[in-house]
This record gives sequence, C-alpha cells and structure tokens, in this order.
Amino acid sequence: MSDAAGGAAGARQEGVLGKAYDLRLMRQLWRFVRPNARLLVAWVILMPLTLGFELAQPYLLKLAIQDHIAVGKPDGLELLAVLYVGLVVLQAGSAFGEQWVLQLLGQRSMHGLRLYIYDHVLRQRAAFFDRMPVGRLLTRMTNDIESINEMFAQGVVTLIADFVKMVAIVVIMLSMDVTMTLMTFLTLPLLWLLVIYTRNAMRRSFREVRVRLAAMNAFVQEHLSGIRVVQLFRREAAATREYDEINAGHRDAYLTSIRADAAMYALVEAIGVLAIAGVAWYASTRLGGGASAVAEVGLVVVFIEYINKFFIPVRDLSAKYAVMQGAMAASERIMELIETDEPDAPPSAAAHPVPADVAGDAGGLVAFRDVTFAYGAGEPVLRGVSFDVPRGATVAVVGATGSGKSTLIKLLTRLYEIDGGGIYVGGHDVRDLPTEELRRRVTVVSQDVFMFNGTVADNLRLGRDFDRARLEDAVRRVGADRVLARRPDGLDGVVTERGGNFSAGERQLLAFARAMAREPEILVLDEATAHVDPEAEELIERGVAELMRGRTTLVIAHRLTTIRNADLILVMSRGQIIERGTHDELIAAGGAYAALERTFRRAGS
Amino acid sequence: MSVPSSPTPPAGALTPWTYVLRYRGRIYVGGVMLLLTNLLFLGVPVTMGMAVQAIGGPDPAGEVPRLALLMSAFAIGTAVTRIVSRVMIFNAARAAEYDLRGDLFAHLLTLDPGYYRAHPTGDVMSRLTSDVQTVRALWGAGILNLVNTGFAFVTVMVMMLRVDPVLTFWAILPFPTIFVIGQFMGRRIYRASRAVQQNLGALSNAIQEDLTGIQVIKAYGVEDARRIGFVEHSEKVLASNMDLTRVRGQLGPALAAVGSLAAVIVLFVGGRRVLSHDIELGNLIEFNGYLARLAWPTLALGWMLSLLERGRASWTRLESLLRTRPAVADGAGAALDPEEVAGDVRVEGLTLELEGRRILDDVSLHMTPGTITAIVGRTGSGKSTLVDALARVIDVPPGTIFLDGRDVTTLPLASLRGAIGYAPQEAFLFSTSIADNIAFGFGAGSTLPKARADELDRAGIARRAEAERAPVLIDGEPVPRIADAAGAAGLVRDLEQMPQRYRTIVGERGITLSGGQRQRVALARALASRPRVLVLDDSLSSVDAETERIILDRLREIMQGRTSILISHRVAAVKNADQIVVLDDGRVVERGTHDELLAAGGVYAELYRTQLADGVAVAEVAS
Repeated sequence: MSDAAGGAAGARQEGVLGKAYDLRLMRQLWRFVRPNARLLVAWVILMPLTLGFELAQPYLLKLAIQDHIAVGKPDGLELLAVLYVGLVVLQAGSAFGEQWVLQLLGQRSMHGLRLYIYDHVLRQRAAFFDRMPVGRLLTRMTNDIESINEMFAQGVVTLIADFVKMVAIVVIMLSMDVTMTLMTFLTLPLLWLLVIYTRNAMRRSFREVRVRLAAMNAFVQEHLSGIRVVQLFRREAAATREYDEINAGHRDAYLTSIRADAAMYALVEAIGVLAIAGVAWYASTRLGGGASAVAEVGLVVVFIEYINKFFIPVRDLSAKYAVMQGAMAASERIMELIETDEPDAPPSAAAHPVPADVAGDAGGLVAFRDVTFAYGAGEPVLRGVSFDVPRGATVAVVGATGSGKSTLIKLLTRLYEIDGGGIYVGGHDVRDLPTEELRRRVTVVSQDVFMFNGTVADNLRLGRDFDRARLEDAVRRVGADRVLARRPDGLDGVVTERGGNFSAGERQLLAFARAMAREPEILVLDEATAHVDPEAEELIERGVAELMRGRTTLVIAHRLTTIRNADLILVMSRGQIIERGTHDELIAAGGAYAALERTFRRAGS
Repeated sequence: MSVPSSPTPPAGALTPWTYVLRYRGRIYVGGVMLLLTNLLFLGVPVTMGMAVQAIGGPDPAGEVPRLALLMSAFAIGTAVTRIVSRVMIFNAARAAEYDLRGDLFAHLLTLDPGYYRAHPTGDVMSRLTSDVQTVRALWGAGILNLVNTGFAFVTVMVMMLRVDPVLTFWAILPFPTIFVIGQFMGRRIYRASRAVQQNLGALSNAIQEDLTGIQVIKAYGVEDARRIGFVEHSEKVLASNMDLTRVRGQLGPALAAVGSLAAVIVLFVGGRRVLSHDIELGNLIEFNGYLARLAWPTLALGWMLSLLERGRASWTRLESLLRTRPAVADGAGAALDPEEVAGDVRVEGLTLELEGRRILDDVSLHMTPGTITAIVGRTGSGKSTLVDALARVIDVPPGTIFLDGRDVTTLPLASLRGAIGYAPQEAFLFSTSIADNIAFGFGAGSTLPKARADELDRAGIARRAEAERAPVLIDGEPVPRIADAAGAAGLVRDLEQMPQRYRTIVGERGITLSGGQRQRVALARALASRPRVLVLDDSLSSVDAETERIILDRLREIMQGRTSILISHRVAAVKNADQIVVLDDGRVVERGTHDELLAAGGVYAELYRTQLADGVAVAEVAS
C-alpha cells in the first residue's frame, strides 16, 4: 500500500474512533447477525417478559402497602407475597434465557464473521500478504471479533433493552401520577449534560488508547519474532525502554476515561437521589391540598422503586459506552479489511487470446510470451521475457540475485498477476485456467520450506489423501528416509511450529518428498544448495533426477549437474533473458554465462 | 516495571495481588473513601424513611423539605467520595497493569529459544493481551466491588439491626446461600474460563500458522483442508464460550433470586409487624431501602466471582510465564572491558545434548584474533549449535568455552554477547528503516514498527525517547558507523536504487527486500556492532557469488586483528580461511587449511569434489 493510501485509511479510522455508534458499520455487521435472526426474535420475545416480571414487582409492593399494611388489613398479604416470589422466579428464568440467547447470537454471528474473514483473507493474492503483517490479521480474527462479541452481551442489545425499560418506567409512572412524574424528570437536563461530558471525554481517551495499544502490541510481536536477534545484540534494555514509553503512555491515556467513568457512575446515582428528594418534597406540598396521606405514601414508595430502576441503566451507560466504542473501532478495522479485496487469481471475464505459436503443445507445455511484471509501482522485475518448456524437458534459469528468477515461478502459479504478455500452460492462458487446476498441475518446491504443525505424514500429504505406501515410496526415493530413520516415530513424528524441530536441510528433503508424492505434471524447483550438506546433496541430486525423469521441469538452478543436464539454459539479468542455449553452446558463445563460469573457476580453484 | 534495565520479575511470592499491592496507598485511600461512601449513603434510606413517615405524619410541609435537603446533601457527599474511590482504585489497577506489562515484556526478552519453540508467538501474544486485561479487571473492578460489597453488607446490617432485629434475622436468612452458590459455581466458572482461554490460544495459533504458510497453502491448494481445521478451532471457541455463558448465566439469576427472596420476606414478615404495631410503616420503608442497597452488591458479588475466577485462570498463565527461569543466566564474574576484548575464542571438550540427542561431542577448537575459521559440515552436524553455544544462546557446561581466557559462563551475558557480532542465515529485520535496522547493531535507532510510529504521530502523540536516542541519520545522511557497515556489507548499490535510501522502510508498508538484500542488511547490522568475534552463520546463502566474493575479500580487512567465524557449505566461501574445521555428527573430524584438507582426502575433499566438477566451480553458477 502506498503511503497516501495508508494515510487515508488511517484518517478514516480516526474518524470513527471514539464513536459508540455508526449506522454504516451496524448495517455491515447486520449481514452476519441475520443468519441467526431467529435468536434475535427469541430475544425480542424474552426481553419484554423479563421487563414485565421485573416492573410488576414494585406495583405489588404498592398494593401491599396501600391495601394492607397502611390500612391494617393483613388478609391477602400472603397471596401478594407468593405472587411476588413467583415474579422473582420468572424474572430470573427469563433473564437467564435472555442472556443465553444473546450470547449464542453473538457467538454464532462472530463465528460466521470469523469464517468470513478467514475465507476472505485466504482468497487474497500474494501481494496482499506482502504488506499485511501477520500480527494485524491475527488481531482482526481474534481480539477484534471478541470486542464485537462483547457488544452483544453488554452493548447495543442491552442498550435497547435498557431503553425499552426506561420508557416503560416513565409510562407506568405517568399512568400513576403525571405531575409527580414531571417532578421526577426535572433532573433530566442535568443528566444530559453529564452524558455529553462523559461521551466527549471517553472519545478522546479511547482514541489515544487505541493507537498506543496497537503500537504496543506490534512492538511486542516483532520483538518476540526476532527474539534471537534481540538477545544476540543485547537489545533487551533499549527495547524495554522503548516499550516502557508506549506502555506508560497507554496507562496515562486511560486516566481521562477513568475520571469520566467515575463521575458518570457517582453523579447519576446522586441525581437519582435528588429526584427522589424532589418527589418527597412535592408529595408533602400536595398534602396541604387535602390529598390522602396513605395514597401519597404508597405512591412515593413506588416512585422511589421506579426511580431507582430508571437510573441504574443510566449509571452503567459509561461502561456500555466503552464496550460499544471498542466494538465500533473493531468493526471499522474488520470492515476495512473486508473491503480491501484483491482476490488471488480471479477468473477472467473473457478468454485471453492464445497466440498461434503456443496453441496446443506447439510451443511447449509451459510457455512465456513477452511477459512484463513489476511488484507494485516499482521498477519492472521482468521485461519482455519469452521462453518455452517443451513437455518432458528441463529448462534451467541462472542469474544474479534480483534478476527476476524467482518471480518467474510466482507468475507461473499465478501468485502474482502479470502486467503484460502471457503465460501458457498446455496451450491455455494461465488466467483462463481454474486456479485449482493450474496449481495442481504445477508443483513448486521452494527454498524456504514451510511445514505445518502436525505429523510428518500430514505435511507430506498436505491436503491430499495419499496412502501410506505412496508417502513411504516418495520419502525413500528422495532419500528422506534417512531423516526419518533418525527419529523414533518416522512418518508419524510430530512437526512443531514451522517445522522448528527439523533442520533446514531436513526440511528440504521432506519438501522434495512432498513434491514427489504428488507426481506433478510440471515441476518447478527453486534449488537451495546452501541449506543442504554434501551427503544430503548427493541423495537429493539422485532424488531430483528421479523426480525430473520424464517430467517437465523449470528449475532455478544452482547446481552444476542440473545446469549441465538441462535441455535449455536461460541466463537472466535485470529482468531480461540475455542468453539462452545449452551449456556447451553458451560456453562457446563466450558471453555472460561463460564469464560467470570463469568467475567461479577463479573463486573455486 | 519500575526500572527498565532490570528485566527480571520480582523475586519471592507472586500472588494475583502482588502487582496491585505495590499501589496499596491508593487502594487504602480508595478503601477509606468506599467506607465513607457506604456510611454517607446510609443517610439516604434513613432520611427517605423519615420523609415517608413525615408525609403520613402531623407536619409534612415543615418536615419533608428539610429531610429532602438532607437527603440531597447525603447524595452529593456520596458522589464525591465515590468518585475519589473509583479514581484511586482504577488508577492503581492501571498502574499495576503497566508494571505487569513491563515485567512480562522484559522477562520475555530473557527467555531462551527453547521456550519459544515450546510456546508459539501467538500463544504468548494472547497472554500479553487478553490475560493481562482479565487480570487488570480483577484488580480494578474486582477490588472495588470486593471492598464495596464487604462495607455495604456490614453497614447495612448494622442499620437493619438498629431498626428491627427480628426483621433483620428474617431478611438475612436467604443470604448465606450465596456462599453455597459461590462455592459451587466458582469452580465451574474457573474451569470454563480456562477452557475458553485455551481454545482462544489454539485458535490464534492456527490462524498465525495459516497466515505464515500462506504461500504454501496457495501453491499446494491446501485451502480446504486448512479451512476444516480452522472451523474446528473456531467452533471450539464458540462451544467453550457457551459453556461459560451457561455457568455464568445461572449465577446472576440465582443471586438475584436470593436478594428478591429477602425482599419478599421483608414484605411479608415486616408487613405483619407493622400491622401488629411492633414497627412503624416508615421503619419498613427504611428497611426496604436498606435491602435495596444490598441488591447491587449481591449481584456484583456474582459478577465478581466470575471476575475472580477468570482473573485467577489468567493469572496462572501469566505467573507461569513470569516464573519460567531463563535457561541461561548471567555469569557471576566481572564484565570484560569492551575496549580490551581481543576476541580469542577457545573451545575445550564441549559436549552438548539437547532433547536427548547428542549435538556436539567433545569439540575442541582455538580461534585466535586476526584469523578466519571456517566451520563446515553436513546438515545436523552441529555447526549452528556450536555458534549458539559461543554466545550462550544455548547454555554450556562451565569450563568448555573461553573468551580471552575467561570461562564464558562466568561472564555477564551482555559482556559476552557484546563481543560477538552475528549474522544469521534467516535474516530477521524489524519493520523500520534500513538505517534503524543497521543502527540496531550498536544499540541506537528505534525498533517500533514505522507504521505504528506514524500512527502515533498522526494522533499527535509525541514520543519523548525520540529526542533522547542517538541519531541514526543527520540531515538524511547516515552516521558514519552505519554508512561504513552498509558499505562493507555491499549495500551501497542497492541503497542507491531505493528512492528513500537509508530511510527505506523494511517490511510492513515498506518495500520487500530480496533474500540477499535482507542478509546483507543483517550483515551490516552485525558489522555495525564492531564485534571482536564475527559469526557469519551461512549468512550469505542468498547473496550472489560475485557479491559474496567481494564481501568476503573485504571482510579480512575489516576484521583485521579480530576473530571471524564462517559457516558455509560453499568451498568458494571457506577456502581462504586460515583454519577449516569439519564437523560430522557433532565431532570434529578434520581440521586444517584448504590445501591440507584436500590432500587428506576426507570429508572436506569429498565436499570439494561435489562442488567442483571438471575443474569448474559451480556451487552456484549464479545464485
């Protein structure tokens, strides 16, 4: 991503930062909630039930006082007590159901969202991963999802419930006594000011917190990944100092929100009491007008109950604000990720024209025609590269680092899209082949061998259902059986993170076995002599020879035997093929290849 | 973490409360304020009861406004003390969180590679994020509610007794069940929380693995198979979260029921006592007010219980991290004078076993200043382990490795590692500028990912340490130490082709360097540290042969009077070394110069033959 684009995304994020509600984001989130809409319906049914059971309780209290206690009539008090207990039990049951349904709604929706992000991310092309650090993607799929999930249990949904509850309370109060209700809510402007103050303070605070937290996590992530380097260069103290600075800033950024939250919580409670005081005072002034003392007492008691119930949700508003704000920021980040869509190898709208000289197998099983390519907006890495790999032939590519050799492989498997020209496999433009088919036909063995957690057999199969005999056969043929013989569990041996319990050379051998088991139609090899010792080298050479027999092979060659035995050698420099021919031809031509070889003769003898 | 330079966690007993108790002053003030809050707050139901009583009394118009004012005064007083108590306790929790984060980070930096093999980064990161948050919640909300609930129960109980001991007895009858519920549910919540954390850790590992291996997943078309694994992990998270919900969901209503049951009893028993004139109606209202005061603390108790259990589960994970002893400890002896280190390295009878396998077997070597020693051997022969042993990344038995005659196990690690410059094969660089990466070698520069630093800048957050750090660039030009190192590592031409030159950002939102370029930046970093002992661990494997030759030629000059160790498979790289050591199965099987070894006709000669055929050096015609 260019700096400008990064800045724009950053600015956009800051726009939403601190907001507790954003309609656009809500609409986008709705997509993931909708499949579980039934749970939402269940909640919509349960919520008023819980509310009804709860709000009926003070009413029973009023009846008890007005009709029994205050007038000295004990009969019927038992019935009210039993009813009250019944309401309590019902409320508890329905509240449990409500929580359960909400959590399930949240968890299922977030599971869906998580899968969606996973699928989305895995569909992206290689360039996407070049600039998107693993840590960031990981955060999207774990912490950010958790933040949104919180919203279901404690955020928007309960806010709706709170709102309904508050409205219901006001309605009940109005139905009992209009003027007294109005007296109660004389305190509302005060409440409003408080809410505004809190919201602003929290928005400011959260914005800062988020940026610092992100910096802190990225910092830790990198230092853990590079722990060996950190230790060998005794960078511990300096790194700890730099971390300390962000850490301290993170702590301090919270202070504002702590103050705002405390003020909100405590002052709302106080305002609630002020309202009660107002109600009592008002009731006392009315008595002079001849109102019944008993009725007034009952009314005041009930109002006290309802006022308490009204102010509790307001009091918890700042906590919910924090949850909502976190959820919105997380949604914004997730949506930004989802909106960045650079699909890997998308199917082309119309078939690309195939030049006559590569139609069918005319040119070769693999053919490059005038291919140009650049990573991003930079300098072209390939400029007009054309060559053929005939069926069953071996083509070796040599050239200095950065000459574009490895890029050829990435383009052939369509990890990156070419900017111009065409690449053809079996007479089809690779852009017109289904990606799955293309990548099944072309098997790449790269220098950097990646292994997954699991067993050796899992890593050799890698998603295919080869039987054991086939794996054993492949292992034997490339000489990897020696690697496994040294370990007790052989094919069932455990592979730890990234194959860390195997040396680079051992991983190489296993990668060859992995390719061998697939019996690929087209083999692409990025030779890595540097990782393998002479003994293994010999074994591999034999294994590779076996693997290459009768197979179409494109090899980035480092070994003399490979180069000399190739049917065609391509010499690359700065993105162009500067020489092509067999070893003997190129030596005879006395060009770059010959010069290159002389360098080595000098260095080696 | 109070002192950044002491990277060890506090010794002695670690309890979940150790960190927050460092701020016990604030906690005490907060506690006293909470007590005041509870006392003042009692004034509210008292005055409320009196007000209700007064409404039904002889002089409501005279009494009630006075009581209403009093009630308001109590409310405002309560608000003030409550604000102070919350600010104090929550600030203490944040301060303790800051300490904990600092200690965790500093401690992580001391742990050896073995720890990181057993604990994937994703797992460690999840401890540093979600576990720290959970523990902090325990300190803030946990302590606040614990203290508050205690005070609330005590003060309310006293007031209730004052009104009517008989009614009090009946009212508190249901409350002891809270403890039964707590005992029973607490354990279940703990187990359920731990399962959630474990499943989250496993999920984040699975994601991390898939993202790191994305190229392989794509090239081999493993998307579907990997997706199945991912779905399983995600479903486990879902299921364990629902388990937790079920347990927690039962707790809330159960506790609410206890409170409400008490209210019913008060209504029923209290009502009868009013009717029998044992107490006044105002007393009942007041009593009811007290009970209402208990409703929230009781509910909070349940929430706290789950907070406590979750906090404990998270703390266990953090504590086990903090308790992990670094496998390699500082030597007790005095540090070497960095200016005086000659770089004489002697290995005597070094035998090392790792995970039951003998990696090095009775290895003896002497590398003198001013010479280049090459170590050659097949994969798994122990070459890299030997290098790790030199810098004590892997620990060694005493009396086996000596730097300038000093047993390395007696040296402080910083002193030992300060003498060694290391360029690894898999070059790890930070997402900062090339200049910062090279400056890393001599402790300057920043390692904060540049994209994050920019974000802080955009948010207007100044970073204090920026000004304090030694500059790496002056007017866009690198300081000489960086420029020299870059030159020696053959980076000058590459840098000229980058528009941002030394400011070029590596990695995240920056350019993607080629493997060879990365290795050379790593080499420059090692050279910038001006090491007495330079170790190149196959660190030019991705660099083309011509560049490698130039770099190695120059190296002899740069490392004049100092010790260089080269690990390589390539004859071209090692043949000019003063001493070539061949390792096989952890043993030194040959040693000598190129010519001597060739004449001996052993493993080395065999290697030579593989790489040279027909008199042509071809280890790579053009890597």
